[in-house]
Amino acid sequence: MDSSSKEQQIPVKQPMVYICAECHHENEIKPRDPIRCRECGYRIMYKKRTKRLIVFDAR
Amino acid sequence: MEKVNEIKEKWKLLPAFLQSRGLVKQHLDSFNHFIECEIKNIVKANEEIRCEADPNWYLKYIDINVGKPEIEEGFNVTRATTPHECRLRDVTYCAPITVDIEHKRGNDRVIKTGLVIGRMPIMLRSHNCVLHNKTFAQLIRLKECPHDPGGYFVVNGSEKVILIHEQLSRNRILIEEGPVCQVTSTTAERKSRTNLMINKKKQIMMKHNSFSDDGIPIFVVFKAMGFESDSEIVELICGTLCETDEIDPNLLIPSIEACHRAEVWTNEQALRFMASKLKAKNSAPGNKPFFQEQRRKSSDEIVRELLSTTIVAHVPVVAFNFRQKTIYLAQMVKRLILAISNPDYIDDRDYYGNKRLELAGSLIGLLFEDLLKRFNSELRLIADKNIPKIKAAQFDITKHMRQDLITNGLINAIATGNWTLKRFKMERIGVSQVLSRLSYISALGMMTRINSQFEKTRKTSGPRSLQCSQWGLVCPCDTPEGESCGLIKNLALMTHITTDVNQDLIIRVCLNLGGVQDINLCESGAKINRNYLVYVNGLIIGITFDPVKLVTALRKIRRGGFISEFVSVSVNRLHKSVYIATDGGRLCRPYIIINPDGQPRITSKHIEALNRGLICFEDFIRKGLIEYLDVNEASDSHIAIKEEVINPGITTHLEIEPFTLLGVCAGIIPFPHNNQSPRNTYQCAMGKQAMGTIGLNQRERIDTLLYLLAYPQRPVVKTKTIELIHFDEMPAGQNAIVAVMSYSGFDIEDASIMNKASIDRGYGRCFVYRNQKCVLRRYPTLGGASDRIMGPLVQSEPPHLPIAKHAALDIDGIAAPGERIQNRQVLVNKQTPVSSTAMETTPLPGKAPSYSVNYKDVPITYKGIEETTVEKVMITSNSEESFLIKLLLRQMRRPEVGDKFSSRHGQKGVIGLIVPQEDFPFNNVGICPDMIMNPHGFPSRMTVGKLKELVAGKSAIIKGTLHDGTAFGGTTIDEITEIMCENGYNYHGKEMMTSGITGEPLTGYIFFGPIYYQKLKHMVLDKVHGRSRGPRAVLTRQPTEGRARDGGLRLGEMERDCLIGHGVSMLLLERLMLSSDAFNVEVCTGCGFLGYQKWCSYCESSRSLASVQVPYAYKLLIQELQAMCIQTKLKLTSL
Repeated sequence: MDSSSKEQQIPVKQPMVYICAECHHENEIKPRDPIRCRECGYRIMYKKRTKRLIVFDAR
Repeated sequence: MEKVNEIKEKWKLLPAFLQSRGLVKQHLDSFNHFIECEIKNIVKANEEIRCEADPNWYLKYIDINVGKPEIEEGFNVTRATTPHECRLRDVTYCAPITVDIEHKRGNDRVIKTGLVIGRMPIMLRSHNCVLHNKTFAQLIRLKECPHDPGGYFVVNGSEKVILIHEQLSRNRILIEEGPVCQVTSTTAERKSRTNLMINKKKQIMMKHNSFSDDGIPIFVVFKAMGFESDSEIVELICGTLCETDEIDPNLLIPSIEACHRAEVWTNEQALRFMASKLKAKNSAPGNKPFFQEQRRKSSDEIVRELLSTTIVAHVPVVAFNFRQKTIYLAQMVKRLILAISNPDYIDDRDYYGNKRLELAGSLIGLLFEDLLKRFNSELRLIADKNIPKIKAAQFDITKHMRQDLITNGLINAIATGNWTLKRFKMERIGVSQVLSRLSYISALGMMTRINSQFEKTRKTSGPRSLQCSQWGLVCPCDTPEGESCGLIKNLALMTHITTDVNQDLIIRVCLNLGGVQDINLCESGAKINRNYLVYVNGLIIGITFDPVKLVTALRKIRRGGFISEFVSVSVNRLHKSVYIATDGGRLCRPYIIINPDGQPRITSKHIEALNRGLICFEDFIRKGLIEYLDVNEASDSHIAIKEEVINPGITTHLEIEPFTLLGVCAGIIPFPHNNQSPRNTYQCAMGKQAMGTIGLNQRERIDTLLYLLAYPQRPVVKTKTIELIHFDEMPAGQNAIVAVMSYSGFDIEDASIMNKASIDRGYGRCFVYRNQKCVLRRYPTLGGASDRIMGPLVQSEPPHLPIAKHAALDIDGIAAPGERIQNRQVLVNKQTPVSSTAMETTPLPGKAPSYSVNYKDVPITYKGIEETTVEKVMITSNSEESFLIKLLLRQMRRPEVGDKFSSRHGQKGVIGLIVPQEDFPFNNVGICPDMIMNPHGFPSRMTVGKLKELVAGKSAIIKGTLHDGTAFGGTTIDEITEIMCENGYNYHGKEMMTSGITGEPLTGYIFFGPIYYQKLKHMVLDKVHGRSRGPRAVLTRQPTEGRARDGGLRLGEMERDCLIGHGVSMLLLERLMLSSDAFNVEVCTGCGFLGYQKWCSYCESSRSLASVQVPYAYKLLIQELQAMCIQTKLKLTSL
């Protein structure tokens, strides 16, 4: 496919910021890191909201 | 006669009752009882393990405890958990089971405490749960809905309820049509069923599984039990040797004759006779004898053992003293021969006093005992194997105690609902079900559901129909329609299910009272039969000379609080016996006690104290003002529904509130007493599908499917039940202003017209939440490679934007919250390793084999015709998967044509047309309805409650209050019309309206007002389906079936018949072949077989092949027939 030549895969390297569900501390977690809050040890994280602009129609 | 004054605000007792009990106390009580008492009894019964290898070695359980729920985080690291965390992380909410043991290590006796032998799933809100005794604010902090009833389990992240199961009561004599006397005995060790029946020769025979099918003459059994004198036996049965009004001993003559003909005169002869009737597989049931010498026993010995332990197993035989069992057997025979002449003695199997409800506690108890026995025998095997071996370290059994047998056994059973117990030959499926969270009501309704063991396919009406004895205990409305109608029931609001109470105490009380003579001290059968027998849990404990006095005394003791309030005492005059029940699983319900002078014990003084919070419901019971009655005792009492009908000296109890005879689901309906009965049943089913609020923690939950209403409202016409179950805090519906009139032609057949402006304002607007799960696995077979998530693919052109499919992804390859997702867009860009071609070189020794792993895209994509929005993305891990991603997807939906709505009176309908407000009719103040309902919905349905709801609701909004529509009460029509008149409205609820289309006044007055409408979960968007071309099934090449597979629309048999009738052959050809699975085959005109690639392999020539178009399924048929050696020849002729 010609599209594959045009596209390129970015391997995930940079850490992402996730929010702990218990203490709301912002954790930087790299892929393959264990999911664990550095502050409270809780193991549920939420992703942060997108930075992109989202527009809804008023319907 | 002094008139009894009505107790004002008597219903206030109900909130007090529910506050102290909660809605699902029956589940919690049962589970708590299991954790606190039952489990200890089970361990006590199986406390010792010994082995054959070393007679000195033993292991003994001293104590067992269940701790607080915790979660495993890696090896031997645990931390306390909450139910909500378990739901999110897909783990089980369970607590460790710890035992204290004493065992031999070498020659030392060692005591070890706190050994974990497994994990027990914990019922939410039970004593061991973290939610127990928490305040509103604390529950919110734990992210738990404060109104959630609990009573279910969280197993692998899903909520499982163990339904209530209905069973016939055990250890009771039951006479069935025939007549047959049946006793199903259950003890801790065994279960057995003993039948007495009358054969064609009028002989009474005892039938039991261990003996051959034709049974054993009853007199032989008596003789085998050591009663050799015929006259003594007859006296034991009848109390007399000559005929009386009551009983005719002559009926026993054929049975005596049978015994004589068998030449059984002595005990030994009887035993030998029975031994000859023993079924072939005469290994005694139950545990295998442990020591070798016990295995060989004479058959007489086996019969004696059977008689003492297995036949009517629940009557204890100590040291082969059969007297008590003989008396019991004699009573069985007596009841049987009484039933021959008097059909009153035949018991009703459907009578609710003969039923017991099995709850989570007892079911888990059975399972746990089975698992513990397996665990113990495994330990014994290990000991047998390891003790003879000589090792450096001494044999220590604690090193061999594995947790997973018990843990997995419990978790698997609850997760799948399969209860398999080999010991009792029990194999049940569907014991547990996923808690339905469609609405708050559906979750509550599930907790009160009763399942019966009857087969659904049977057409019997007996177990399905409403039984009079269910009054007040089982909701008369709430049952599904169709095959399981009447087999699945629901508890009424105030029903309580008892748990086991120790019967020894009660027996001691009875004997010490002086009213009961111990059965072992009764010298003759005549004496036994002359007086009333006293049964405790189906066991005869003695006789009483004055049953009424005994019963009154026992009730007094119970009301004084000296024995448990759930002990039931009742007199059965027909059976001439006093029944005392302390067993678990009986249904009961509280009633106000009435003094003999006709005055209720509760006065307004008490209610006032209750209002001020000085006393609670327990105090009413403690003070003996209110007591619980089970079915048998209620049948022995006179209960007044209202104060007016109290008959002094006769009436014994007063109903607290009649509306409590309905269950949770029926309690939502306003004025249900005005409706035709099936309409209430329909509403009970529909209330469970209504969208609304499912819990105060609904935004925290990540469920597979969640329907929420954007703007739920509490109903204007509420009921007391609504307040009691907090439906007004978690409503599922909206108060729509409804005009009952006809409009356009789009409102026929229960369709309704919706106001577009109302929809724009948010009427019926709902959210649909779905989740997507994604786990990253490790593959040990691929050298430990694991799934990975890649970032988005970007275009090669300068701005390097991600490709359209990956537009929503963040750099971590997971869609970001807030992003809008279109059809087929990627949510998680996952890749999974695939084994590539084998490595080129053999791995060097000492070096790990190097794998070259390729990755394959396995993205999680969104499929759906409407776009969706990512609401939340949760990342976590659990014990099985190191990485678990859950995405919560949200969809907002406006009502559209075809969406289903329903009022609270079983009146469902779809939107037929959405009309702009300009075209809507309006009244004199300019109010437009939200909805127009066709009046044809009323006459045949007879839902008068709906009419009343409308006028009550209208008067409530005029006055600015909420009105009450509780069953058998509520706001009266007089009050309603009064309010309407005072405010210048027509008291019929009708109004003059003007047409929005023509501007002319409508010719009739329109019935106009608010009705609470529920939006049901059935929406057009989830059902739209159509296709022109699409996927086909592999085997037949016909279009696939069903919406999920984008299937075709079938032209079925009946449609085919129609087309044949019309003679449209080309249409048929096109529908059935060309549009489906047309296929060109080569047919050999010579031999009639199918050829292939212009070659007939039968004729071995290519000369006479013709191409014919047939359905592919037909070609398949021919080939399949050929495979079965059936020749099919096609003869071709040209047209």
